[in-house]
Amino acid sequence: MCETCGCSESGEFKIHDLHHHHDHEPIHDHKHGHSHDHDHGYEHSHDHDHQHEHEHDGVFHSHDHDHPHQKVINLNVDILSDNNRLAQLNRRFFEGRKVLCLNLVSSPGSGKTSILEKTIQALIPTRKIAVIEGDQQTLLDAERIEKSGAPAIQINTGSGCHLDARMVDLALEKLEVESGSILFIENVGNLVCPAMFDLGEAKRVVVISVTEGEDKPLKYPYMFQSSHLCLINKSDLLPYVDFDTEKAIGYARSLNPKLEFILVSAKTGEGMNLWYEWLAGQTK
Amino acid sequence: MHEFSLAVEVINLAQREAEKSNAREIKEITIEVGDLSGVEADAFGSALDLLVKDSILDHAVVNIHKMPGKGKCAACNLEFEMTHRMAACPKCRCFPSEINGGDQFRVVSLLVE
Repeated sequence: MCETCGCSESGEFKIHDLHHHHDHEPIHDHKHGHSHDHDHGYEHSHDHDHQHEHEHDGVFHSHDHDHPHQKVINLNVDILSDNNRLAQLNRRFFEGRKVLCLNLVSSPGSGKTSILEKTIQALIPTRKIAVIEGDQQTLLDAERIEKSGAPAIQINTGSGCHLDARMVDLALEKLEVESGSILFIENVGNLVCPAMFDLGEAKRVVVISVTEGEDKPLKYPYMFQSSHLCLINKSDLLPYVDFDTEKAIGYARSLNPKLEFILVSAKTGEGMNLWYEWLAGQTK
Repeated sequence: MHEFSLAVEVINLAQREAEKSNAREIKEITIEVGDLSGVEADAFGSALDLLVKDSILDHAVVNIHKMPGKGKCAACNLEFEMTHRMAACPKCRCFPSEINGGDQFRVVSLLVE
């Protein structure tokens, strides 16, 4: 295990359907059929079996000589190509079913789960919603989500620090995602590692809260560069903290000029209508 | 700090490629890590060092090439070496700049036997 951040080397993780328990470990046994289409340049690949006949004391006999030869395999293959390929399969699955898949990323404690609870309560009468919850441990978030009225499945990454496309693929076997739904994937609270792993989402939503520093975008540029929308949560606390909203937006825009922003409070509901409008706009 | 997961990906990839070409052993692996790839080359190298034991890469020489980041200014089109994603154009001070190289993270080649 990675002692610095807890990344898993064995890839052990568990998927919990709150109603039936299924464990998956290790993740390398997934069922997705996928092909590899890299270019392979093989330099001098030929057969090396030679037969030699010798005469000893007037008797002929033959020997097989197998010479081990070295060869260079030119790959030039992206190390994340496997994840990217699986993510692309997930994406096609979502598009085929007209499912809007959103990957919610943030540091721990920014309020992703609270935002989801409020969103589900507000939209579930008119919109089908399903949730994949990612945390290192516990079923707590999936339980909160189910209480608010949407089916949820929990992925516990164990020592892993991010979700990957394969985990989402396996979770989809257990979670009924109806056609036309919104599927929220709540990633592990971490602004670093999840940035590199495409899950197959249509859009990535980064959540920050006003109790964090406004310089967060500068500190974690990859996440803000790869996101489409930034929700700035806990706006009800603005009178009590030094967070400079304009500055935070300026920093994030300097990294990603196309990034959109909505200031919300999951607690008071302020700004949440703008978020719901944004969601509705994604499926028009 | 996802370098450990990425090291696992590299070992799996090497294993698959070795099987495909019926190689008994991987003697050498060459990897490029771009300065703008989001991967810390040193941390990745250490992670790989720790994880290769008993894998197909156990006795392989690991070459990790750090590739410089390249940017192109969106305003004046100047191409320049980019040390980080926030780097401003050295001529007109504009940013963000378009990333024009150095964001790769890939296995270049394997030397197998």
